[in-house]
Amino acid sequence: MKFKAIFSFLGLLLILFIGIPIVKMMISTDPSTLLLTSKEPEVYSSIFLTFRASVWATIIALLTGVPLAYILARREFVGKKIIEGLIDLPVIIPHTAAGIALLTVWGRNSLFSKATGINIIGTEISISIAMFFVSVPFLVNAVKDGFKLIDERYEKTAITLGATTYKAFFTVSLPMVKKSIISGSLMMWGRGISEFGAVIILAYHPMTAPVLIFERFQNFGLKYAIPVTVLLILISLIVFIFIRIFEDK
Amino acid sequence: MNLKIVNISKKFKGFELKNIDLEIREGEFFVIVGPSGSGKTLILEIIAGLLEPDSGEVYGIKNKKIGFIYQDYMLFPHLNVFENIAYGLNIRKIDRDEIKSRVKNLALKLEISELLQRNVANLSGGEKQRVAIARAMAISPDIFLFDEPTSALDRNSRMKTREMFIKLHQKTCSTFIHVTHDFEEALSLADRIGILINGRIIQCGKPDHVLNSPESKEIADFLGYKNVFGGSIKNNRLNINNLNLIVPIEKADFAYVAIRSDDIIISKKKIESSARNSFFGEIENVFKKSSIYEVVLNVGVRLSVDITRKSFEEMDIKMGDNLWATFKVSSLKVFKH
Repeated sequence: MKFKAIFSFLGLLLILFIGIPIVKMMISTDPSTLLLTSKEPEVYSSIFLTFRASVWATIIALLTGVPLAYILARREFVGKKIIEGLIDLPVIIPHTAAGIALLTVWGRNSLFSKATGINIIGTEISISIAMFFVSVPFLVNAVKDGFKLIDERYEKTAITLGATTYKAFFTVSLPMVKKSIISGSLMMWGRGISEFGAVIILAYHPMTAPVLIFERFQNFGLKYAIPVTVLLILISLIVFIFIRIFEDK
Repeated sequence: MNLKIVNISKKFKGFELKNIDLEIREGEFFVIVGPSGSGKTLILEIIAGLLEPDSGEVYGIKNKKIGFIYQDYMLFPHLNVFENIAYGLNIRKIDRDEIKSRVKNLALKLEISELLQRNVANLSGGEKQRVAIARAMAISPDIFLFDEPTSALDRNSRMKTREMFIKLHQKTCSTFIHVTHDFEEALSLADRIGILINGRIIQCGKPDHVLNSPESKEIADFLGYKNVFGGSIKNNRLNINNLNLIVPIEKADFAYVAIRSDDIIISKKKIESSARNSFFGEIENVFKKSSIYEVVLNVGVRLSVDITRKSFEEMDIKMGDNLWATFKVSSLKVFKH
């Protein structure tokens, strides 16, 4: 009994630490202001843009990150630890630094821009790029851990039953890591939405929700920043709970 | 066509195979038996083409369909029993009605018809095994590979499984290659066995022959010979601890002799017979086993002797008794290493 009480108490401290600021912020906003804020075109378009850009980033990460995760989980090769370190790096480095690093590759004076004549800075594409860079580790690592848990002999069995390597991957391995892929994508998508540092360096405009919150706080103060923040949190919460319920089924 | 494994060597994840040569006849029930860690699974995966050997080659496997049944069956957890069995047929894009009827047929044969819509996670060990066999059988394999298929089962299911394997082998006429660490299992199933120890096949032949004529101390130990003695031999005598054992070879600088525990007779009085080895000693230990007693008699060396429960009771044997142990020279096996 004592054990349970102590553990519950320690866990409760953590929940309160996260919960109190959010609840406090929510109750400080009256519903009518919230409704009004949600009808502002600048607000809803920025929230929609944030969600959308993060979806693009997550889709690209699925296409490239799942194969990478599979290789990292299944194969041993020279330099594997370096690649794994590289994948973890975006989590550690300051995101403004990440934004600057991205600017050297995708910026106006970059080789890419000069060679193609395309400028992506200040577009939705650059927002997705920033989000991708900082949040892709969540997806790759989750899916890699998922593949690691799956016995290779499942694939081998599929191959003896006549499947090609591709078929074995798509009909056996991939369905078996479905949960890791869903939760990895969710984590990545969520992390993408919240990204501020790298995004603001690549695109101040069009304004994502975190940038909009920052801007309103800077120019008009706390009172104007809170409704947008609450709105973003509420929508994110609803989406996450909905997906978690769906995932359990 | 026979399956020929020629000079296969492979190092993989801490396991190693060294210069494996085997010829397995078409339709044969071949059992590879060896302790765990000897590389048994590696051989099967190489035969199945799932692993490339470092050197050597497997002949007679091209275009052959393989039914591989792993130790823990590897039923796909995201598919139900029916979908598992149908997997190989779906891959071959066989007509759906045909798949249905084939799966039903197999399920009937393996007595798992009532399980078809079940989730594989909720099956018992024996049920899982039958589903795995049905899944392999669905593609009508030419060669079945079994990787310790009974080690996850209780004793009763293990016995039933052996019967099922024998029936299956008779019905399918396929080649069966089975690996196990259980020599008794090998004896009850195999047409021929190969003993694999430390990555080498060290003896190959009919089970009875291998059991009665181990070619080395290693094999004798593995087969459960308890009486193995080493020393030099002169004039048909091996001297150990001042005990002169009469042996079937005349001379050797060093050799091992071994005798099975059930080839030794014990008696209260010395037996006058043609058996030329007869020694007197004290009973040091008695172990009760399911239907026999193992009696350890110290005659200068410790001899382990198996006797039936009936004889044990009739002779009224107690610890500390002094008894005679007698055995024939011809029941001694001799090997050089």
